[in-house]
Amino acid sequence: MREGRQVDVVGLTKMFGGLKAVDDLTFSVRPGVVTGFLGPNGSGKTTTLRCVLGLLTPTSGSTAIGGVRYRDLPDPVGTVGAALEASSFHPGRSARAHLQVMATAAGIDERRADEMLAQVGLTEVGRKRVGGYSLGMRQRLGLAAALLGDPEVLILDEPANGLDPSGIAWLRHFLRALAAEGRTVLVSSHVLSEVQQTVDEVVVLSRGRLVRRGTLAELDSGPCEVLVRTPRPEDMRDALAASKLDVAGLDATGRLRVLGTTTEQVGRTAFEAGVELHELVAEPSHLERVFLELTEGAHAGADKGGPS
Amino acid sequence: MTALVRTELRKITSTRLWWGLLIGAVVFSGIQSLASAILAGLEAGAGAPAMPGLETGEAVRTVYPMAMFTGTYLFALVLGITGMTGEYRHQTITSTFLVSPRRARVVVAKIFAHALMGLLYGVLGLLTVLVVGGAAMSIRGYGLGLDAERLWLTNGLAVLAVAVWTVLGVGVGTLIRSQVAAIVAAVLFTFLVEPLVTFALAGIDALSMDWLVKWLPSNASSALMAPGDVMLDYLDWWLGGLVLLGYGLVLAGLGVLVSVRRDVS
Repeated sequence: MREGRQVDVVGLTKMFGGLKAVDDLTFSVRPGVVTGFLGPNGSGKTTTLRCVLGLLTPTSGSTAIGGVRYRDLPDPVGTVGAALEASSFHPGRSARAHLQVMATAAGIDERRADEMLAQVGLTEVGRKRVGGYSLGMRQRLGLAAALLGDPEVLILDEPANGLDPSGIAWLRHFLRALAAEGRTVLVSSHVLSEVQQTVDEVVVLSRGRLVRRGTLAELDSGPCEVLVRTPRPEDMRDALAASKLDVAGLDATGRLRVLGTTTEQVGRTAFEAGVELHELVAEPSHLERVFLELTEGAHAGADKGGPS
Repeated sequence: MTALVRTELRKITSTRLWWGLLIGAVVFSGIQSLASAILAGLEAGAGAPAMPGLETGEAVRTVYPMAMFTGTYLFALVLGITGMTGEYRHQTITSTFLVSPRRARVVVAKIFAHALMGLLYGVLGLLTVLVVGGAAMSIRGYGLGLDAERLWLTNGLAVLAVAVWTVLGVGVGTLIRSQVAAIVAAVLFTFLVEPLVTFALAGIDALSMDWLVKWLPSNASSALMAPGDVMLDYLDWWLGGLVLLGYGLVLAGLGVLVSVRRDVS
């Protein structure tokens, strides 16, 4: 187990011209868990991460990694690994050369570049120029670059972008394993469902402000909705009513919507009433809806542009 | 610091641009040298002044160091510019400053690395003109002329001048981050604005403003090569060198200051 380093953002404000991209933002990221940094596009996630990484100078407030400003870290690559944009590679340079350039600058053994390529599954294409890579391959290269120094803290901006479902599953296992080793893992996303199964804690941002922080379970603590498809909807409706369950009518595909319950409870009710079921499912986008509600301020204000 | 310089050299050599520019420099130097060797000793006429013959040190210096510099310095300038602007164009500057958050050191390492590349361009350009120009002079029956007056001092200075132009490029690239804008501005200035200003202010007798235009970077470079007094009363060669170095240091220094403060988004 590693000692781990906490990431702290304290009263961070960043203005671009007259536009407030981040507004008095305060939160901490713990080691040993995967933290999701969530918010719609343009909510200030990338700006915050770039301030944490010393690429942007905050207008006010401060950021620290293990209590130290990024620019003052004695060994930045060995402390923090970051992958910000999938496009930030020279198209004419090979993935291997990109990692070797980084290793040279950081004083890391160059063989580590090949190890990282192997770890993210890019060994075969490592000597080809990055210009020919798919978005998913670039994401993997970004991850390899972030891991080059075997860092305590991992900061990834939208790492699931461009990954196919198997890639997302791979990323999930990978990040969970890194957190289990005691590392600090901060992953941003504008699509909750991408990281829903990966993150333990969330920090939700809207229009540059913090709107919610806590565990994923806390965010998901509202009542659940269950959808039921049956050839005997009237009988099912009666059975549910007898069990004092709240039926909210039919959805677009003719399924009964049952509020504030679990699939187990609805299934048991159907079984006891002898009603045949063809489908029984918990509303999968429930968490997504909470997320949208939390951040809808940003959607309502369509005038908001600027860096995200 | 040496690790950072090695990093920057590696960045340059891991893409193809540097040898594309090198080929351009070598070819252009060869053509310049060949043309100078052929035209040397030409009688005055058609509005052109008489060219000194190949028996003079002045003509030999034109065939060797002057041709090399003329053929190479713009390619060296562009190499320097792209060394900086390429980082912004491809957003690799993010990775660069993440790995080395002490930005001033990165820019200083870039300047050293590009100066070394400039020296390499200069040396290879010089080899080219020695072969091409030497062959042309031999064919014309003048021999290689390698013992010409002040030839080897001037050769060395010309190589150094190319290196300084590479540094100038890095400075320009830090100040103008758009690759196209930086290259166009720098090439327009050296190829068009400077010669026109020189011609207008110094070439027209009534104005005779040699005292001003001789301080411009191209003219300071020419002074370093100690050419004949064709149109302009150049600076002393050593002063020309110092002036050129001054331009390089001022631009590079500004580049360091600007990069350290600037947001990278």
